[in-house]
Amino acid sequence: MSLENWLKDNQIVRHRPSAAEIAELMHICDRDLEKASIVELGPDWRLSIAHNAAVQAAKAALAAAGYRARKEGQHYLLLQSLAFTIKTESEIVDQLDKFRQKRNMSDYERAGMVTEQEAEEMIALARQLRTDVAQSLNAHYPHLATEI
Amino acid sequence: MGKIIPEMGNYLSENPLCSGLFGKTRQAVLAFLYLRSDSSFYTKQILDALRIGRGTVQRELKNLTDAGIIRREVQGRQVYYRANAKCPILNELRSIIRKTFGVADVLGQSLAPVAGKVRVSFIFGSVARSADDRRSDIDLMVIGGITFGEVVSLLKPAEEMIGREINPVVYPITEFKRKIKEDHHFVKNVLAGEKIFVIGDEDELRKLAER
Repeated sequence: MSLENWLKDNQIVRHRPSAAEIAELMHICDRDLEKASIVELGPDWRLSIAHNAAVQAAKAALAAAGYRARKEGQHYLLLQSLAFTIKTESEIVDQLDKFRQKRNMSDYERAGMVTEQEAEEMIALARQLRTDVAQSLNAHYPHLATEI
Repeated sequence: MGKIIPEMGNYLSENPLCSGLFGKTRQAVLAFLYLRSDSSFYTKQILDALRIGRGTVQRELKNLTDAGIIRREVQGRQVYYRANAKCPILNELRSIIRKTFGVADVLGQSLAPVAGKVRVSFIFGSVARSADDRRSDIDLMVIGGITFGEVVSLLKPAEEMIGREINPVVYPITEFKRKIKEDHHFVKNVLAGEKIFVIGDEDELRKLAER
């Protein structure tokens, strides 16, 4: 699999990125990372917010590579794309996907199914991802990383 | 059913409760077909998955077919096998497989490398209540000094083998005890509900819950 395959399958489309767009996505990521650290929100909510942060970082990396998901809300696809855009290890992508599944449970179920340790783990993953994406942007797309 | 036909030979149990009922090959064949009871497989797929001698597997497939426990279907030049949906003890058998050499065993083997760190692990929710279908996920409680990330990585091969999503809920012991003390709704319900133990047992769990 590759991004080219996804393009052929019409899962992603070509996209012309701008520095402002990348900055906006990274800004949302930062905002969410900050909010996710508020312990009082409870683990299930914190996990959701941290997951959102990870998705924004993934979206930024994909945009920088010149693509975007064809449809909105393609969280699965965006997280999987990290393996191509910033060469995230498959183990980490698997973990992100499991957190995505947790996040997708109904509110009622999720309230019990997320432990504090898990929320912390998701936040740490999202933070690492934010760092990795920023590093990759600076290294490969410096013209897009001017505002991050 | 996913495209991945996993290797099952590694996951078989030597648990006396299982070997007292069924021989090793029978366990393997039954678990393979009965834990994927709405799919059929051709002989080579079964052989590749089980990694047990061709002769013994083929003998077992014949025995189980003759007994009406599995079904043999011929399509063109291929021979397929599947769980016999009309077998009068299909549900009971599936239940036995799940509780003995089926899922819990598979999960237990997957977690074996970290068994020293995990105090108790059990399946809860729909699988434990015997109300599942293949679409339902397996909810797995893991209590111990281990991270969610580690558990996810360890369970990945098992998940592919079972062909179902596994949702682990990973509690450090201190957090679990605190939730009990706080009378946490979810933890309380899970403790009161049906469980299939993967690591540890009811006693071990009770000890954790008491202290």
